[in-house]
Amino acid sequence: AFYVSVLSVLAAVSIPAQQPTLSEAKFDELRALLTPDPQTMWRRIPWRVELLEAQREAAAQNKPLFIWAMDGHPLGCT
Amino acid sequence: MFELLRTKFIPVAIDQAYERRQKDAEGEFYRSIASQGPRKNFQGTTQGFYVATPAGELLLYNNNRDPEKVLRLTKKASVTFAASKSAKRATKPIASGKVDARYNPVPPEGGLVVRVRAKVLGGYVATSDRWRKAMQTALSRDNLWITQKEHAALVAGELPKKLMRRLTRFHLVDNTRGEPPMWQDKEVRKIAFERDGKRIRGSVLLRTEDGKRGYVASMLGFVEVEKDVVTRFDLVVNGEFWGEGRYTRNAPAGRFPFAVSLTLADGSDVADAIPPQASRGWVEGYFR
Repeated sequence: AFYVSVLSVLAAVSIPAQQPTLSEAKFDELRALLTPDPQTMWRRIPWRVELLEAQREAAAQNKPLFIWAMDGHPLGCT
Repeated sequence: MFELLRTKFIPVAIDQAYERRQKDAEGEFYRSIASQGPRKNFQGTTQGFYVATPAGELLLYNNNRDPEKVLRLTKKASVTFAASKSAKRATKPIASGKVDARYNPVPPEGGLVVRVRAKVLGGYVATSDRWRKAMQTALSRDNLWITQKEHAALVAGELPKKLMRRLTRFHLVDNTRGEPPMWQDKEVRKIAFERDGKRIRGSVLLRTEDGKRGYVASMLGFVEVEKDVVTRFDLVVNGEFWGEGRYTRNAPAGRFPFAVSLTLADGSDVADAIPPQASRGWVEGYFR
């Protein structure tokens, strides 16, 4: 932790005040990189986000609820 | 797991910090389920996976992150449900009734919802640990909310300062490994954005008082308008981040490349409905 902390402070001291401007090519490259793959398993699970809406659906279909309860919203990370 | 959840369950993802506090029918239903498990103290976290009958009878609680273990337990819960009396009788649907507005914030009417994704682009030490590897390659997800007034300003060709400051303080954060610390007002050392027609350019320098966490980045974006409605709001922020937060441990050492991408939400993704992380518990503070 001490080592990481020292590195972080050194990094902060040597930081340039500005990054080079972003080109359109870099813009396109990063947008593609930060677009999630719709086929990842996580995204194919049909999550509901309202518990009682899910309860009504579960009651109608006679299925149990699978509740993923987190600190912060679980769908906040892909 | 995907097939099991899709065919045998109704899967629902919730922020338990809200659910356990909600003073409405949904909060009551959640607490009735959670109180049957080991986490009965609603002053603290009730995080985990729950399997319950539609009537709210708890069949399984677990807070393990090992996917094989979760799969095994969930399969077992499915069998337990199928053999139970609950599976053979009808359950009454529960009406939502009046919802607790404090924990059910909705996007501003006439405003916009923007998807925000962030990624660490390098700097990690290679690992064979599956969990750590997942964190290292994670693409985070949050939403930026834009007010009706700001939407109108964007249509008029302006770039509202308040909006860009909100974007900077609450969305240029490393939330790829957990809940991130937001930037305090005084930690915004430099913020410069300008709009020229459809194009936005900008740069930021963010740094904590002790210098242990920061982000220096430049930005390029495009805004397009049709019939008084913003139809495109695409921004990319790219630069070097350093440091970590209490819940975002194990960041790369020193400076590392980090990018954030923003694009208009169209409601097609269930996560478009999630309130901004920084608005949790205090929406007014998010818009201030």
